Amino acid sequence: MNCTRRNFLIGGSTTLFLSGYFPKISFASMQKKNLIIISLRGGMDGLTAIPVIGDKRLKKLRKKLILEDVLNLNSDFGLHPKLEIFHKLWQKNQAAFVHATNIPYTGRSHFDGQNLMETGAHIPYKEKTGWLGRGLLASNIIGKGLAISLPMPLLLRGVPQNNNFFPSPDFVETKLIDQIYNEFKGEHNELIKSTLDTIRQRPLSMQIATDSDDRKKLALEAAKQLKDQSGPRVAVFDLDGFDTHAAQGGVDGAHADELEEVNKIVTILHENLGQAFDNTLILTLTEFGRTIKQNGGYGTEHGYGSAILMAGGLLKKSQVYTDWPGLKKKELFEGRDLNSTIDSRAVYNSAMSICFNQDPEFLRKEVFWGDELPDLSQELFKI
Amino acid sequence: MSLNFYRRVAFGLSPHEKPDKDPLNWAINQLDTIPDLLWPGTIPTEKDLRKKYGEWVYGDREVLRKKFKNDKHAYRKAKDELRIKTGERYFELNEHAIRHFQTKYSKQPVFERFWLFWGNHFAISEKDFLAEFSTGPYQREIIRPNMVKTFEDMVQSVTTSWCMIHHLDNSESFGPNSKKGMEWGETINENHARELLELHTVSPNAGYTQEDVIQLAYIMTGWAHKWDRKNLETGDIWFDQEMHQKGDKIVLGVKYKNDAKRELAKVIHDLATHPICIKFVSTKLCRHFITDEPTDEMINPVIEAWNKSDGNLIEIHKAVITQAYKYNENTHKFHLPEIWLMQLSRMFDLNIPLSFEKMNYTFKSKPNNRQRQLSWILREIGHSPYRAKQPNGWSDLEVDWVSPELLLRRFWFASVELPMLVKSGNRSHGFILSCLKNNFEDHENMASLIDNFKFGTSDYDLGQKYGVICNLPGVLKI
Repeated sequence: MNCTRRNFLIGGSTTLFLSGYFPKISFASMQKKNLIIISLRGGMDGLTAIPVIGDKRLKKLRKKLILEDVLNLNSDFGLHPKLEIFHKLWQKNQAAFVHATNIPYTGRSHFDGQNLMETGAHIPYKEKTGWLGRGLLASNIIGKGLAISLPMPLLLRGVPQNNNFFPSPDFVETKLIDQIYNEFKGEHNELIKSTLDTIRQRPLSMQIATDSDDRKKLALEAAKQLKDQSGPRVAVFDLDGFDTHAAQGGVDGAHADELEEVNKIVTILHENLGQAFDNTLILTLTEFGRTIKQNGGYGTEHGYGSAILMAGGLLKKSQVYTDWPGLKKKELFEGRDLNSTIDSRAVYNSAMSICFNQDPEFLRKEVFWGDELPDLSQELFKI
Repeated sequence: MSLNFYRRVAFGLSPHEKPDKDPLNWAINQLDTIPDLLWPGTIPTEKDLRKKYGEWVYGDREVLRKKFKNDKHAYRKAKDELRIKTGERYFELNEHAIRHFQTKYSKQPVFERFWLFWGNHFAISEKDFLAEFSTGPYQREIIRPNMVKTFEDMVQSVTTSWCMIHHLDNSESFGPNSKKGMEWGETINENHARELLELHTVSPNAGYTQEDVIQLAYIMTGWAHKWDRKNLETGDIWFDQEMHQKGDKIVLGVKYKNDAKRELAKVIHDLATHPICIKFVSTKLCRHFITDEPTDEMINPVIEAWNKSDGNLIEIHKAVITQAYKYNENTHKFHLPEIWLMQLSRMFDLNIPLSFEKMNYTFKSKPNNRQRQLSWILREIGHSPYRAKQPNGWSDLEVDWVSPELLLRRFWFASVELPMLVKSGNRSHGFILSCLKNNFEDHENMASLIDNFKFGTSDYDLGQKYGVICNLPGVLKI
């Protein structure tokens, strides 16, 4: 593909920036809807996950990183072969991608970038809560967040009573808690006491010990919880290792290994959510994409535009949604990175509006300080 | 005075220590001098470790990445070997041992608590290989010696330390009108300037603007590592005039005349003595030692001591302890996991850290499980000290530390891991009772909760006892 900026919008429509629609509450929306975010730390390379097909310039700049056999999506884009589950779901209109997108952050620091992808803000470290936490709070959905990590991720902060699941290496006898529970007296012990309540009310399956480095087991448990009509509505996974400065490779390189992890998690969620998958959205989140050009170590450096991988029954259809900026030197950001033409926060805001049954306008104001984020619900999701 | 004062300002009393007749004096007398580091094993210098850092990044970036660009498996294997050779997997473990040995055996444990505080105030968060090679020696060589000087002295040292400059990218900050900035078309990186204002000194309460951040960044341009082909970014810090922004600068309404490297010391002086900085840092100190939301009444005497002594940290520390003593009976403070672990280690004389002989490392194979144990525990309880996620360090607020898994991890440590750390002579029920008596007024109630296991000395029995004791509200918090 050698198309240039703005000469088409794949799967998009001209209403992109004009949308004023918001969903009606229907019977279907009474069904619990799940929003699952998978953080891909280190900078996910959108051009490796969703490569453009036949771009001569890309071939030239990435001689050692070009994928031999990509899975076919459409005439313009392919899919990395390790992202098999997305390909399978694509056939059923349950996978889609947003390309050439990123948070509005053009510095290239992981730390600032990861902070901003979680807070949704413009200035690193300025905000102390995450966009997802604020979205839940604004929607009055309390106690329904589940983090698959030990610390509570910044992304979920801002709403109280979240749960997390990241079991210790050995079984913990919760009867120990029963023995001391009544010792927590007085107001200053309330927070711990209510958290002990959360632990005591946990289903048996969450009380197991497991190897928390084994994401499969964690994903399996997350699926079980999300499937439960009274369980969590939001889950956050954390993956790292996308910072492939060296031996990034193609079909089998270091970046492929990380994509395989994403594939594993989504596969398990899909298999185990069952019917609930129809009422679920899974979205990835990263701090930036990577440079177009390979470096001396056949890796890539920190860049700008990336892609969002999406799966779930709440997607409108299979599509690569993009306002493709092109890969000619003058079309690149600072002459080196895939540009970002869609503020990824618009995608997340729209996804929250679908899953939390909220007006996107309202969320945009409550969560993103009224930033100009077009409502993409109609284009991307089932309303 | 309650015995909990020894945990509020220190790590509790070891089985060999007895409560002092005058706890306030006991605490205050620990702050005039810098106690020696007691660790009998290797204590490498910051410079030595920076050299190792250089060997590691040079070897990986300049040699291995190029050599194995087509073979990720061979690359990973060679990289693992380099980790072993340069100590990339080892030095952080050794630093944790030095740190925990100190908090366990120091005769000035109150001083050590302030050491932990300042290390976190001027936090180095997880970035590149700082946790592996640099944060430990930075806290030993930059933070510690300044604890008997002024706050301003500490800010000066921290701001020009290799570790902080690397952490906040000041070496990548070029004055746009400087020689190199013009030649290379480079400009400022604001990170360090912003954090110097926001986190280290005046805080956003000072109402600085983006322009203030930019102007301060201009002043800071030129303070950078000396780059060369072999050491890459690990060279010493110097002032590179060719990176420095020319012209006068204005920060928070104060004009700083074009004066090259001398500008920085002047602006730091003004920031570190700014009334809002004094209030901000005094509040943080009170938050750490008294309660999450300290009142003006608690904070004001610390501010007074600060002003009276021109920011002398000894006097400031003494004022904080005096306030902590005054409010000891009716305030509560939740303890972060690492401090909790240090307190358990001291009160129950646990077998951590590993002996220095066993911590010895040959740089020939991966550190063994025993050598990794303490660092592994810290990670599993959610508080690996050099790996805060952001430059604002670890939160000091209870609300950030109470989640189901983080609480479960404490139960896990106390009931599963801790029994294996009990010394063979300390397994009797009587030993636990005497430690409780030494540290807690309500030791009788505590003892009654573990009475069912009084005859048990197996790991399981000890786990049942410590699992209960260590997670009681009066142990998790003051």
